[in-house]
Amino acid sequence: MPEQSNDYRVAVFGAGGVGKSSLVLRFVKGTFRESYIPTVEDTYRQVISCDKSICTLQITDTTGSHQFPAMQRLSISKGHAFILVYSITSRQSLEELKPIYEQICEIKGDVESIPIMLVGNKCDESPNREVESSEAEVLARKWKCAFMETSAKLNHNVKELFQELLNLEKRRTVSLQIDGKKSKQQKRKEKLKGKCVIM
Amino acid sequence: MKPLEKFLKKQTSQLAGRTVAGGPGGGPGSCGGPGGGGGPGGGGGLAGGPRPLQRRQSVSRLLLPAFLREPLAEPGLEPPPEEDGGEPAGVAEDLGSGGPCWLQLEEVPGPGPLGGGGPLRSPSSYSSDELSPGEPLTSPPWAPLGAPERPEHLLNRVLERLAGGATKDSAASDILLDDIVLTHSLFLPTEKFLQELHQYFVWAGGMEGPEGLGRKQACLAMLLHFLDTYQGLLQEEEGAGRIIKDLYLLIMKDESLYQDLREDTLRLHQLVETVELKIPDESQLPSKQVKPLFRHFRRIDSCLQTRVAFRGSDEIFCRVYMPDHSYVTIRSRLSASVQDILGSVTEKLQYSEEPAGREDSLILVAVASSGEKVLLQPTEDCVFTTLGINSHLFACTRDSYEALVPLPEEIQVSPGDTEIHRGEPEDVANHLTAFHWELFRCVHELEFVDYVFHGERGRRETANLELLLQRCSEVTHWVATEVLLCEAPGKRAQLLKKFIKIAAICKQNQDLLSFFAVVMGLDNAAVSRLRLTWEKLPGKFKNLFRKFENLTDPCRNHKSYREVISKMKPPVIPFVPLILKDLTFLHEGSKTLVDGLVNIEKLHSVAEKVRTVRKYRSRPLCLDMEASPHHLQTKAYVRQFQVIDNQNLLFELSYKLEANSQ
Repeated sequence: MPEQSNDYRVAVFGAGGVGKSSLVLRFVKGTFRESYIPTVEDTYRQVISCDKSICTLQITDTTGSHQFPAMQRLSISKGHAFILVYSITSRQSLEELKPIYEQICEIKGDVESIPIMLVGNKCDESPNREVESSEAEVLARKWKCAFMETSAKLNHNVKELFQELLNLEKRRTVSLQIDGKKSKQQKRKEKLKGKCVIM
Repeated sequence: MKPLEKFLKKQTSQLAGRTVAGGPGGGPGSCGGPGGGGGPGGGGGLAGGPRPLQRRQSVSRLLLPAFLREPLAEPGLEPPPEEDGGEPAGVAEDLGSGGPCWLQLEEVPGPGPLGGGGPLRSPSSYSSDELSPGEPLTSPPWAPLGAPERPEHLLNRVLERLAGGATKDSAASDILLDDIVLTHSLFLPTEKFLQELHQYFVWAGGMEGPEGLGRKQACLAMLLHFLDTYQGLLQEEEGAGRIIKDLYLLIMKDESLYQDLREDTLRLHQLVETVELKIPDESQLPSKQVKPLFRHFRRIDSCLQTRVAFRGSDEIFCRVYMPDHSYVTIRSRLSASVQDILGSVTEKLQYSEEPAGREDSLILVAVASSGEKVLLQPTEDCVFTTLGINSHLFACTRDSYEALVPLPEEIQVSPGDTEIHRGEPEDVANHLTAFHWELFRCVHELEFVDYVFHGERGRRETANLELLLQRCSEVTHWVATEVLLCEAPGKRAQLLKKFIKIAAICKQNQDLLSFFAVVMGLDNAAVSRLRLTWEKLPGKFKNLFRKFENLTDPCRNHKSYREVISKMKPPVIPFVPLILKDLTFLHEGSKTLVDGLVNIEKLHSVAEKVRTVRKYRSRPLCLDMEASPHHLQTKAYVRQFQVIDNQNLLFELSYKLEANSQ
């Protein structure tokens, strides 16, 4: 299948129920809901800036169950950056990230140049905390990736998470424009207009 | 439009034209229609007909029921002498001699106003030669059943006949039974049909002695045959399942039946066990495996597995796209309605949190790779299997409908070598045959009936048949895609040769579906216009292909194809679209009800057609496949083609390859 070279693809992995979809939907749509619908595979698109131009940020929300190993491999091989989510209320969910990280290493080879974020979600539920942030920081250093705690429910650190991830990309300059959709389109138009004037 | 649809539509519209156009004038001499090969207008073809007909000959030849031809105002009409020697004489003799009781009419409770009519002439005077060249319509061997009957009384009449005549001519009785079970849905919904059967059994239970027993026997025979025919389909019909259970309990309690028909009752017990009692089991196990229907969710290993039939209650995954090509994957029943699908999408996207009853609620649209859009109505169901090969479902608000564009991967093409260049033609052809046999086997007999007649009764899904048709069109496009993506002229000519070889082997395998599809693919205008490429072919192959084209020629209602297939012994994979075309003709060429009375000739003809399918599959297919090193690769390739189904795009490629071919 032909790929659009213009896309910047981010894949979100993690065990079932840790809040992958909630993070993505909070970021993309600004909404949150309590009910749980297991995800198979969803992909959302947003326009971002990239090397002084625009491109599409493609965020693939994957399944937490291990039903589709082939689809996971595909998401990894096509992805440019990865978000590995666990819940701070479940040590098990952190454990489950290890095989995924190993698979990313195996498929991508050199992971140091690949932006990866380790994310502890549900930080609003700290009374039930099972994973200390210091612990995760150690793991993040070992994995040579960045770390952050978030709450999709309280909208804590969600935009920051995606911005930080893009900042890690050194091969090109990608940046979010976290505005409303309309103003984004306007900016895009202005940008194009500006270019025309210069030329 | 997809070529296959076009194929069906074209034939149908020809027929429609014929039916409407009155008068004996010969319409355009198209060769597509069954009557088209026939001679000039006039009475010549109807040697046996007692009086001239007002209708156009081709129509009457098709399937004009006996009671249309004989004005019903003349009850007790004597059957006219059989002038046509080619027909079985039994019917006429039986009638003449007063006949055994199974030919005589029994007054059925509550006959219609015309119910008192004597036995009408059977349509056996239609010579089969006058009918479509290959597939003549035959009059039922059990004919005549008696006067035409209303839908609600027909089952009664049939059961009476079976009760009286089962021992006299069991072959005819079997066919009668089969005809009614296969086609009852044309005149009675399945649930109603079973209710009638149930009532009849209760009614017969009130009778003493052999009379009651015979009727109960008939009832049991009908039920057994029904269960045998429906099998797994019954799991989709809860109402029917309940009635069957009731009736089953009645029969099991009946001691008189048990004494005389031990074997039959035991068989019934078995059938109910295997077929019907599964319903509660399955509701307890909601974790039914999700079947891979769409390409994105098919994995190599699952695509290599033998295909099993899809049922409406099966769960599938489906991607639904947004105007910006974001998508969500929903899990849905195969039979889900558009409304249900939109409900799942709305829930996923959290639209539900916004104020209810918004005017810009979502609509579901199927977008083809060509950009063609079809707005799906909320009440439509079972839409997944009706999508075109590279079509996708989009959910959007009404105002963004116009802005929907196909996915980029459906517009762009990536030239490059595929497995076809590596695979041996024998391997590819054998895998085609094996796969299409699997798909063909998955289609339930009743899907053929339901596909053509579903407009008249509740929709029962015909997913497996739709998938087979989709596959047929996929193979056609695959051939064109592979040829047109091959840029080197020499290699392209080699590829043509390979496809002709594949077609030849498929034909040898008696897989006429693959054969037809490959030849149609080579006949695609974008491929056939590549004059320079075709010129490179050795004469031997050109001649072979010309022969193949003749075989797929629709002329004289596919005479050459019908001749070839009639000589084949099962297992055979027929060119299924033609069966559907024939059924469509049967359907549109004659009414199911005439003045409220059931047209039993039509039922029989439809059932005959379905029985040809049964015959084709009556023996298992055994291919001698060598396990070559690339065996699995070829198998996976054949089962998951990547094709371009956009004809404009195919033409573009074609012009790039040979600009000034003509």
